[in-house]
This record gives sequence, structure tokens and C-alpha cells, in this order.
Amino acid sequence: MDRDLLRQSLGCHGPALLSLLRSEQQDNPHFRSLLGTTAEPARGAAPPPGAGRKEKRVDNIEIQKFISKKADLLFALSWKPDASVPSEVHDDNDNHYAVMPPLEQFMEIPSMDRRELFFRDIERGDIVIGRISSIREFGFFMVLICLGSGIMRDISHLEITALCPLRDVPSHSNHGDPLSYYQTGDIIRAGIKDIDRYHEKLAVSLYSSSLPPHLSGIKLGVITSEELPLYYRRSVELNSNSLESYENIMQSSLGFVNPGVVEFLLEKLGIDESHPPSLMRGLQSKNFSEDDFASALRKKQSASWALKCVKIGVDYFKVGRHVDAMNEYNKALEIDKQNVEALVARGALYATKGSLNKAIEDFELALENCPTHRNARKYLCQTLVERGGQLEEEEKFLNAESYYKKALALDETFKDAEDALQKLHKYMQKSLELREKQAEKEEKQKTKKIETSAEKLRKLLKEEKRLKKKRRKSSSSSSSVSSADESISSSSSSSSSSHKRHKKSKRNRSESSRSSKRHWSKTSSGYTDQSRKDDCYPVPTNTSASFLNQKQEVEKLLEKQDRLQCPNAQVKEKEKGLLTSSVEVPDDLGGRSDLYNSYKTQAGSSKTEKPYKSEKHFSSRRNSSDCFSRNSEDKMKASSYRRFEKDTEGRKDHSRRWEPSSGKYSTSPASSDYAWKSLEKQKKCMYSGSRDVSKHEQRHQLNTNEGERAHDKEDGCGEGNKAEAPEDILNNKEQPESRVKKNLPQNLLNIFNQIAEFEKEKGNKPKK
Amino acid sequence: MEAVRPDSCERGTAAARAEERPAPEARAHFRVTRFIMEAGVKLGMQSIPIATACTIYHKFFCEINLDAYDLYLVAMSSLYLAGKVEEQHLRTRDIINVSHRYFNPGSEPLELDSRFWELRDSIVQCELLMLRVLRFQVSFQHPHKYLLHYLISLKNWLNRYSWQRTPISVTAWALLRDSYHGGLCLRFQAQHLAVAVLYLALQVYGVEVPAEGEAEKPWWQVFSDDLTKPIIDNIVSDLIQIYTMDTEIP
Repeated sequence: MDRDLLRQSLGCHGPALLSLLRSEQQDNPHFRSLLGTTAEPARGAAPPPGAGRKEKRVDNIEIQKFISKKADLLFALSWKPDASVPSEVHDDNDNHYAVMPPLEQFMEIPSMDRRELFFRDIERGDIVIGRISSIREFGFFMVLICLGSGIMRDISHLEITALCPLRDVPSHSNHGDPLSYYQTGDIIRAGIKDIDRYHEKLAVSLYSSSLPPHLSGIKLGVITSEELPLYYRRSVELNSNSLESYENIMQSSLGFVNPGVVEFLLEKLGIDESHPPSLMRGLQSKNFSEDDFASALRKKQSASWALKCVKIGVDYFKVGRHVDAMNEYNKALEIDKQNVEALVARGALYATKGSLNKAIEDFELALENCPTHRNARKYLCQTLVERGGQLEEEEKFLNAESYYKKALALDETFKDAEDALQKLHKYMQKSLELREKQAEKEEKQKTKKIETSAEKLRKLLKEEKRLKKKRRKSSSSSSSVSSADESISSSSSSSSSSHKRHKKSKRNRSESSRSSKRHWSKTSSGYTDQSRKDDCYPVPTNTSASFLNQKQEVEKLLEKQDRLQCPNAQVKEKEKGLLTSSVEVPDDLGGRSDLYNSYKTQAGSSKTEKPYKSEKHFSSRRNSSDCFSRNSEDKMKASSYRRFEKDTEGRKDHSRRWEPSSGKYSTSPASSDYAWKSLEKQKKCMYSGSRDVSKHEQRHQLNTNEGERAHDKEDGCGEGNKAEAPEDILNNKEQPESRVKKNLPQNLLNIFNQIAEFEKEKGNKPKK
Repeated sequence: MEAVRPDSCERGTAAARAEERPAPEARAHFRVTRFIMEAGVKLGMQSIPIATACTIYHKFFCEINLDAYDLYLVAMSSLYLAGKVEEQHLRTRDIINVSHRYFNPGSEPLELDSRFWELRDSIVQCELLMLRVLRFQVSFQHPHKYLLHYLISLKNWLNRYSWQRTPISVTAWALLRDSYHGGLCLRFQAQHLAVAVLYLALQVYGVEVPAEGEAEKPWWQVFSDDLTKPIIDNIVSDLIQIYTMDTEIP
């Protein structure tokens, strides 16, 4: 309750209102206490206003009744506007509202009263505008003509003078009297600095420090007549034609017809339109519930409408009309963008349709809007695990892991996610261990058998090389295609892993430049180690791309059986080449570019053979692409995609390893006697023109090769991949050929196995 | 303006009409305009469109018998039409929702079924009828603009502390809005209404216009030349009459 306001009102209306208030507001505890205390002073204050008012009060009995009835609203503290702007500048132009001449001008109030009221209402910090009337050595006097802020009054005829002392006049130049800048008759804008209300004296300042902070931007000093406030100019106009009425001036003003005038003035007067005031008890907007407002109702209605659509959609879904269901869900989401049920339903539909990512998106959005939605959470967990499983199959273990973890983060008790995660971890662990074991086993075998089978191998290699040379020619087209693919995938593989590999290979190299069995085994074990790592942490971004490419490749290659099988042999040869051609390298440097072209264009002549080999060393990328594609081909046949991918990855690493050390090869001496010899033989073979080898022979050779390779691989990772066995079988069914090729005499297989191992070691040797 | 000039609404009997008007009829209109205002606030309408809606409503029932049409349907159509006239377009769906909620407090919003569309159609049909009854004269000069300018002028003449202390503008604005509960807007000029609510607001707080006794012209005369003290008293008394209904009608 605003006591001052009530006292003011009581002071005006007298005891009649007081008694009315007492009877009307007796139930209101605020008023009871207030009226009890203010009753006496109010009564005492009532008589002085004079007898003339008493008659008026009789007329106003209706009003007093009204006041007493509405007193609780009228004198409530909340009824007051929050905080009106203290005083604004009068530079409002006429476009906002009709700026009117001062009211007193129309009311024709005598100058005496105006002057009195001016000195009552003027405040320090107000802006005044006046003309300089005289300049003295201690300052200048100005006659005020209008006000620049605070109140708009008509003071031009009141002859109010103000002094601007010398110390309040800023100097405009470094020397001389600051007052010399001013002349009598100048229009000056100044801030009120001091008011002597009793003697009616004013002191003004030209420093903006005399103004309140919100007006400090206003420039004080000399102004032009155009800068005079609009209200003053209107007032001058009115003086010249005093017959003009308030209404006429207002109606003719542009601001009055401004469509936004109401809003502008409401703000200026501090009236809140969003909570409009009313003295009707039923219209107290603070009593309105937000739920009853149009926007809230619309939202609610839209939500229920959307829900209806979702229900229809679910019915469609149940009878298998998925398209109709999807339409309904989308309609629901159009009506209500954030509808949780629609999102969950659509997500479920996506999930059943296999669009797991879209499903996850919907579920996540639903959970965002309604974090407690049980189904959304449940479905999201399930979908995440399912997607994780997919990723696992795609060898993206880390991604799969993150999906499982996400699912677990959503629901700690979700068993499936936990199981899947554990399984994944176990699998990753297991495969690591197995590979280590496998590597050890291989080493042992190698060290045992290499010596004894050296002779045999030499023979076999010779023949093989001869065959391969020919095949290479025929297969180079397919390999060139794959080289492009490879270049993409290998370049995008993670740098960190390759970094590691480089380090390792360097270390290996530094151990000894001379080859020894022990070193071979070391490097080979290191190699397997790395390849295993790569298997476990595949680079997710490029796998899908290479995967796709491989598929195409396979299709293409399947058409041409002959060519398809050739690469098998070539892989081996290349590995050998890596080793054997280390000596040749310097001579072949010049022929590189040539050879690349010829290689690409599938030139079949033996001339290209040598450069080709050297290229394997120098442009290891292209080289790797060759082995990559070839390996991938035979692996494809023999086993599942998954393994195939692993293999390619491993190959890539293998090839990449050559890159940093390739410079060394050219300078380093031949690594071993054996290498020398084999090289010689190879060369012979190359030029001997073994093109006349029958196709049948070739095939046989390839088949054995293939079988051996498959066998090899089986050894390498078969145990580790036991869990995936069913899928392997599935894949193998699709490619029954590979199985057939495997069915070779066991002894032959063994031999080839040894060859392969031997070759591998040889391939690794130069790295040291 | 022509609508407010009460020639069309039997000016001569205006004052008499206030007393003659049978109480039940005035109460019915009070109730319906209360609905218009409450719905207007809930629809986020500003003061002017609400005032237009009320004026349309009152003017319609100047021409038409009370029993001829459903009052609330006319009120809903008035809201819709006022939104169009004052460029604050409303959607019929919102109007129906808010109205339904008003009549059935706490109920769920209507479903968008055939019944809903029938309701919507009836609002649109009623709107067309009203336009014809009102001879397509649905734009009015409201007192709001005048009142705001008067307030600015008065503010400059009053002592600024006295102005700050006293919620004159809010009270005057509230009184003006509430005045639309009755047919005052049709019986009096906009300027007169604006002055009258301002007068009442000053009276309520016991605020005197400085030097009023010394002035050649009373302040209210300045704002409107053809205004007389009896007119102000009339308006004030009519206005207070409306407030008495507020206590009688819950």
C-alpha cells in the first residue's frame, strides 16, 4: 500500500473519503492498519485546503465511492509503473508523436504563476537554452528562452536570466579570454549548475559535467536556431497565431497519424501492454493462467493432434504399411516439430528399415526434448548396440566401442551393451595375443626350414618368376586400376600409425646392415606385430571407400579368370623384387617414368620388366597398390571381406614401410649372396622369354599358389578369427572357387608354404 | 470518426439511454465484453484492437436485437474482425481455443475435427453478417491516442516528482480500457472520453493541475473546445456505473 499516495488522495477528498474507505476496505488488513494510523493527521490536514473545495467534494461523492471501492487496486504498490525515465532530451522529432506547445500556453496562465512554477520545478542538471544578454569580465548573462530536457515549459516571456561564470566557460583557444569567443545574442545551450529558488537566481555551466550521466553526450555551448527544441518552435508558431487550438495543432501533426504512436507513447509513459492494467477485478491479468493463453493452448492442441497422427502411423506400421506410417510420422512432426512420440516412432521405423544412423538421430532428438522418455532411451540403447555391431563387422572397432559406451552411458544397466563391449574388448585382446603367438610359431618354422629347403626353393622360385613375368604383363591393366584406388586409401590412412611404423623400421634397420637369420626373424616378428596392430585399429574413414573399390575390382576381375590369378604370383615376385633388385636400382633410375607409362598401358614386352621392378622400390605407393590389389583379389576369394580388409591394411603398411628407407636401398650393397644369385637367375628368366609357357601350366601354378596363400592365411589368423567363422563360411559359399583351389596335394602345399615364408623374409630383409 | 460521432446511435437519447437501458441487457453486454477483453489479453492483442473489437460488438447490438444472435459468437467474430481491421491478425484456431478454454476452464483444447471446423465456419459467417450490418464501417477513432498526448502535455506542466509518485497514466489507461465494457465509446467523442478518464485519474489521486485557478481556460477545455463540465461528469458517472457492475457480476 502506498501511504503517501493515499495521504495525498485523502488530503484532497477529505474525511468523507476516509469514512468511505473505512467501511469499504474494512476487510483489507493493509487498510485497517493504515487508516488507523493516518486517520488523525489526515483529518487535521483536511480543513486548510479551504471552504471552496467542500462543495466540490459533494459533487464528487460518486468518485469517492469509486475510490473507496477500488482503493486496494489504486493504491497498490504494484499499480505504479516500475521506474519512469527521469528526464529525456526533447529532440524527439515530430515523426514519433505530435510534439505540442506547452499546456500553460493554451491555458493562458499569468506570467507570475509560470515563473513561480518554473523555479519550483527546475532542477539541477536540466538543460536550458537562452540568448546571451550581456558579457562581463566574470562571465556572461543569458536570458532563457526554453528548456532542453526535463520539463517542457513556455518560459520565453518570463525574462529569466542565468549567469554563466567565467570558470564554467571552456576556452576555445590557448590564449586570450574564453569569453571573447561569445557575442551578445548568441544562442547558448547550458546545464543548470545552481538554483537559488528564493532569490530566483540561476547559475549555468558549459561543461557537460554539469549534466546527469544519460545526457552527457549533449554538446553545450553555442547552437543555431535550427537546433532549438521542436516544442519551442511550435510554441513560437502558436504565439503568432493564438487562435490555433490544441486539437488542430495535434491533428495536423504528422506524428499523430503515425501508426506506431500508441506503442511509442506507451513506452514513453511506462505503461506495460503485455500486462494491461485494469481496475476490473475479473480482468487482473496477473490472475490469468499462462496455460489459458493462445500460444500455450495452440501448443497443447498441436501436440495432441500430432499424437493422433502418430497413433495412425503406428497402426499403419503394425500392418506393415511402412510408407504410410512414415508419412503420418512426418505429418506429426510437421505439426509439432518437437513431438517426442513422433520422433520415437519414426526412429523405430528407421531402425527396422535399417537406417540406424537416422534412427539414432531421432531417438537422440527425442531424448533431448524429453530426457525421461523411457522408450526413447531404451530404443536408443538398442539401436546404438546394433549399430556398434555393424561397425564391428566393418572392422571399425573403435567406433563400435564408442557406440557401446554411449549406450552404456545412457543406461548403465543395459546388459547387451555391456556384453557387446566386453566381447569386443576380449576379442581385441585375444586377437592381439594370438597374433603374437602366431608370429613366434612362424619364426620357429622359418628358422628350421629355411636352410633345408633352400635348394628346393631356389628352383621353384626360378620357375615361378618366369611364369610371373608373363602374367604380370597380362595383369598390369587390372593392377593399374587398383593403383588409383590404393593411392586414395593409403594416403588417407592415419598418420600416427605410420609414424610408429617408421620408427620401428628404422630401428630395425639400424640394428644391422648385414642380414642374418636372427634378424630376419626379428623383423618378421616385428612385421606381424605391426600388421596385427593395424588389424585391430583400422582407420575408419578409408575402409569403406577401399571396400567399395575392392568390390568393383572383384567383379571386374572375376570376369577374367586368367588375369585374376596372375597377380597372385606377382605378389610373390614383387616381394622378391624388393629384395633382389636393390642392386639394379641405380641403373634403372632413368627409366622410371617410361616404365610407369608402359606399365600402365599394359606393355607386354620383356623390356619393361626391369624398370618395372625398380619402380617397385622407388614408387612404393604404386608398388603397394599392386600387391594390394592382388592380395585383395585372392583373399577375396578365399575368405570373407573382413579378412580381406585386414589383409589390405597390412599390405599397405608393408608398402609404406618402404618409403622412408628407399633411399638407402640404392646405396646399400646386396644384402646377401643368396639375393645376388636369385637376382641373376631372375634376370635370366626374364630375358629367356618364357612366354611360351602354356596356359594350363600357368593355371596350375596359380592354383597352387592360391591354395598355399589361403593356407598361409588360415594359419596366420584363423585361430584369432574363430569367432567369425560362420561368416567366413558364408562368404566362402559365395566364392566356391577358392575352396576348390585349396584342394591340392599336401606336400605341394607345404613346399609352397615354405616358399612363401622364405620370400616374406627376403622381402623384409632390405628394411634392415 | 464517423462511427464515434454518435449520430448513428441516437445521440439525443445517449444520456437517457444509460439509465433506460434495461439492466439485464447492460449486464449481458458487460459479461460478453469482459469475455472479449480477457480473450484479447490471452490472444496477445493490444489495447487498440481490443477496443475495436468491443466497439464492433457494441455497435452491432445497437442495430440488432439482443436475442437475434449468440452473443459470444458475435464476440468471437468481433475479435477476428478487429484483428483484421487493426492489422494484428489473429487465427481463428487461436480464438476458438481461447474461447473454449474460457467457457470450459481447465478443459483440453478441442480436437481438430469436423465440429471444430463448423465452429470456425460459423465465426467466419458471422463476421460477414456483421460487416453487412455495420455497413462495412468498422474503423474507429479511439480515445487512446488522444489520451496519450494529453498525458504527455500534462506531464510537462506538473511537477516531475508529483508525476513520478502518482500513477496517473496507468490509471487513466486502465480506466479507458475498462470503459469499453459499456457503450460509452459509441455515445461520446474520443477526445471527451480521453479527457474524462484523465480527469477521473487526477481526481482519484487528488492531483491538481498547477495554477488551475489562475488559468483563463481549464486544462480540459484546452484539449477539447466543445467539451463541457457536464459532459465530463456524465462520462465519469457512466464509467463508475460500469464499475459497479464489476462487483455485482462475478
